[in-house]
Amino acid sequence: MIHQLIDLAGRSSHSRRRFIESTAKMTLGVSLSVPFLNPSAARAQAAAGGGGKAKSLIYIYLSGGMTHLDTFDPKTDKTVMGPSEVLNTNADPVKLGNLMEKTAKHGDKLAVINSMSSTNGAHEQGQYIMRTGYNKISTIVHPTIGPFAEELLGKRGEILPDSVVVGQGTSNAGYLSPALSPLPIADPTGGVPNTSLLTETDRFDRRMEIASKLGNQFIEKFKYHGPKSYVEYYDQANKLLKSTELEAFDLNSESMRDAYGMNRLGQGCLLARRLVERGVRVIEVVSGGWDMHQDLQTNLQSRVPELDQALATLIEDLSDKGLLDSTLIAVGSEFGRTSEINMNSGRDHQPAAYSTALVGGGVKGGQVYGATDKRGKKVESNPVKPEDFLATIGYAMGIPLDKTIYSPSRRPFTFANEGKPVEALFG
Amino acid sequence: MKSNQLRVLFGIAILALCAVALPGKLSAREWTRKSDGKKLQATFVALEGDVIKLKLANGQEVPVQKDLLVPADFEAAQRFAKIGDDSLTVLSARKIDGMLAQTLVKQGFKSFNEALPDDLFVRRVYLDIIGRIPTRAEFLRFAESAREDKRAALIDELLSSPGYASNLFNYFGDMYRLNCDADFNNGVRMEPYIQWWKDSLAQNKHYDQIVREMITATGNLGQAPAAGFLLRDAGMEFDAFSNFGQVMLGIDISCAQCHDHPFEDWTQDDFYSMAAFFGETQRTLARYNVEDGMSMVAAKMPGAPEDWLDKFDEYAFSQGIPKPKADPAGYRQFGYFKSFLGWNVADIDGRVTPVPSNIGHDMAGKVFDPGTLIGDPAKKGGKTSREALADWLTDVKNPRFALVIANRMWARAFGRGLVEPVHDFSEDAIKNCSQPQALAFVANEMRRVNYDLREFMRILYNTRAYQSVSTGEEPDAANQYFFQGPLLRRMRAEQAWDSLSLLEEGPEIDSRKGRDGSFLKELLNVDFEKDSMESIFAKYKAWQGVRGERMGLATVAEPGTLTPSQARNDGLRASEMKQPADPASMLDTFGQSDRMVTDQHNYDGSVPQVLALMNGTVTAQLTGSSSKLVEDLESLDGPDDKVRGVFFTLLSRFPSSDELNLGMKMLEDYGDDGIRDLGWALMNGPEFLYIQ
Repeated sequence: MIHQLIDLAGRSSHSRRRFIESTAKMTLGVSLSVPFLNPSAARAQAAAGGGGKAKSLIYIYLSGGMTHLDTFDPKTDKTVMGPSEVLNTNADPVKLGNLMEKTAKHGDKLAVINSMSSTNGAHEQGQYIMRTGYNKISTIVHPTIGPFAEELLGKRGEILPDSVVVGQGTSNAGYLSPALSPLPIADPTGGVPNTSLLTETDRFDRRMEIASKLGNQFIEKFKYHGPKSYVEYYDQANKLLKSTELEAFDLNSESMRDAYGMNRLGQGCLLARRLVERGVRVIEVVSGGWDMHQDLQTNLQSRVPELDQALATLIEDLSDKGLLDSTLIAVGSEFGRTSEINMNSGRDHQPAAYSTALVGGGVKGGQVYGATDKRGKKVESNPVKPEDFLATIGYAMGIPLDKTIYSPSRRPFTFANEGKPVEALFG
Repeated sequence: MKSNQLRVLFGIAILALCAVALPGKLSAREWTRKSDGKKLQATFVALEGDVIKLKLANGQEVPVQKDLLVPADFEAAQRFAKIGDDSLTVLSARKIDGMLAQTLVKQGFKSFNEALPDDLFVRRVYLDIIGRIPTRAEFLRFAESAREDKRAALIDELLSSPGYASNLFNYFGDMYRLNCDADFNNGVRMEPYIQWWKDSLAQNKHYDQIVREMITATGNLGQAPAAGFLLRDAGMEFDAFSNFGQVMLGIDISCAQCHDHPFEDWTQDDFYSMAAFFGETQRTLARYNVEDGMSMVAAKMPGAPEDWLDKFDEYAFSQGIPKPKADPAGYRQFGYFKSFLGWNVADIDGRVTPVPSNIGHDMAGKVFDPGTLIGDPAKKGGKTSREALADWLTDVKNPRFALVIANRMWARAFGRGLVEPVHDFSEDAIKNCSQPQALAFVANEMRRVNYDLREFMRILYNTRAYQSVSTGEEPDAANQYFFQGPLLRRMRAEQAWDSLSLLEEGPEIDSRKGRDGSFLKELLNVDFEKDSMESIFAKYKAWQGVRGERMGLATVAEPGTLTPSQARNDGLRASEMKQPADPASMLDTFGQSDRMVTDQHNYDGSVPQVLALMNGTVTAQLTGSSSKLVEDLESLDGPDDKVRGVFFTLLSRFPSSDELNLGMKMLEDYGDDGIRDLGWALMNGPEFLYIQ
């Protein structure tokens, strides 16, 4: 088996990835795609218990280090809370920070993990493991959830890609085929770049026709995969330009725009819902501004209500459309923040104890998993590592967690790096 | 250029006489008087304006006006003045051809692919050597030149032009993961290091020297910009060593970091012994301590007198910087500046780097003595471990170093290395490669030219193998390729960007300077022993004035001062932009490496790429209402010339008669809009993105 894999990985291959693309078939989205390790065998079996129900994932990633104390793990100690207070929700065990009023109405749908614990105190490293399940090292790049899910579960979309990352201008598939890279949408209201034609459609078609006529000679002359693949990308781009799927990215016609909040996080979540409706598997919505070293109170006022509104609206909207059971919403960040308010009236980094939250997708709401001490400094019960959190997401999505994937450099990897899913969260 | 055979014979004599002959030593040649065709045997000495100095057989030096000689002689003199004698270059290229051809015949090929026509040659060498397509004028200049040696001359001209270093920089940027992102690596700003790379390539610093400087650099980025190589991976020392193995030795031993290599002989002990050459080396003063996330590792300023840091603080307080406890916000920027000064590589006597705790019980905490993975042991002899390592690496007996870089340079020219993958191949792979004799020869040639990459590339570009039509069928990755010609290659993202920029802005982009690390280098370049506190504090003030996004990016130092000036930020070649370019930029879209992992450039197509070519801003500029393309072709008379002009501009080749007819029909039907449409069509056929 190992030797077969080595052949696939191609010791003599020209580039690290060529072996993947050489048998590639066309899909839409960003790039060519083929799961190279027998995707049907790897296809998810519905996991025992409550896993495997989430057909789609919306991962709200709050970059900078979300303060757990002012959001999902509030404390009664006033010296810890500073400007914030505890807010009860409609489900007894779930408590939130007082700026999360709208979400508090959905405590019964929230599963909060208050025992997250990481060893990464720097943003880049912390974010990396929270989005890949692996520590950042400088010899390989690990894939995020979207590409890994597509690798293990197979390609799903016809025209739209299987994964999209919103709020970030670039993406990659790590050591997997670049074909699996999420489609990056830097600005949720900006749509897919370069989709407005330079000329009227007739002339565009005329240009396209001449281009393919002239291009054909070149493609005949060189029997290589690359130039041929461009023909297919042109086909796909043409289809996309003329398809109604592109409308998914146009938020102008949406009646829910204000409800989600006219900010990047809100509009990003709205876009995510539109993509879920069209079958996109993984949407990461990345939103910054959570690195609150200074002036906690002002920063909380600008960020938490945005999160509150977007999250609550997303829960309601998905629920109204009957999509909440099949869609997992995850809220994560690289670490929490200190219980001591520093000299700049802010909170500093705290990887030792922080919070994440899950909603929908088979997760049982109204529960809190794990706990920190009275000051929110240390995990007291049921610690959950970033790998475990990712594994829990994978479990919800029915991703085979024990399936080994080999990078082109022949290193073995699994989804979430052997993290243990928190099965107790599933109903 | 009269008799190649003679030159070859002559060259063999030289090679036989001295194994390590330097390029540049000139031999006698024949010069021809214009008026009567009379010949003269003489050696070129120098070119001074229009006067060529020649040395006669009797040793006498004579000045000759250029007008007295045939034009080809003056052109030859210009080339000699620039590059010296190229008889060894030609000889070496012929030897490579001979070796390749021998194997090709054995494998049942007739010989190389057919010779590359002039038009395809000119586009290929422009892209390969200076990283962009030629302009229409450059294309025509070559096409219309009657010089016999015009190919060699163009290769020489391009190798000495500024685009050469820019293009090569993009390759090394990917290989050495050059990244100037401010958020990256705990804030180390790499501009001085990146600038050092650019300057080194522009000066044609030999590759062994580049590597030696990187391995042995001591100090901060201002004192020794090459220290960026080690600072790049501060906090990830063993990963850094894995990368070292890949780029310097062509061995990926990253598996051996955690366990013995499953397929090769390397053990974990081998890995940590080799990594131990960096064991006494401390990188960086300030970094996050993972225990509590926020606190910095406190350390004295490496390379400075024991009490320097305290004294600098005291001086700063006397100049109005608040004490950190009293006013942390007011102190913060000053603290950052000190961290900048302290981002530093230093060898600390007695320092060791034990195996990290996550590796496993039996290994964690162990300390290894330096030991080489392959070849002879390193000789320390009173030197630092890093110096010993550099000696070992660049020693003529090192079995890998020259071979690795020669093979990589080969892959740049031919689209595939003689042995693959270029970052990881075994001894067996070397023995069993398709052209083992040629591989051994080019590794030796790399040593013979003393790692002069320009000279090495000159050899490759002058081979018949290189100057062949690209192989028409993509070789199977699993099978051997025998180099009957280069492979078809997609442009790098940088080549595509620079070519599009050329179409928008013209050839002046080649010499336009953008982001420059010299200002930041100047600020950090302090002498802790000699510089006064006052002068170093003045650097802090200058730094504070421009810190933030502009720091070291779009600023350059005014010579002799600490005053920054703003450089232009648009119309730049990829090498002059932020490294790597911004997310979602054209460069990113076309696969530029994100500089996280070695050789990460991606040559695959994608839907966003073709959308950018269909509807993007560059296409709009070239084919929109105020089309540069139309404007540029305005002076041409007939529709046939205009159609050819579009082909010359975008594809640097003559149109076939079918293509010409199609184009003329478009001009007939739509006038200038036909030119716009044809231009759009050529930009959006796959040929534009390929180097054939």
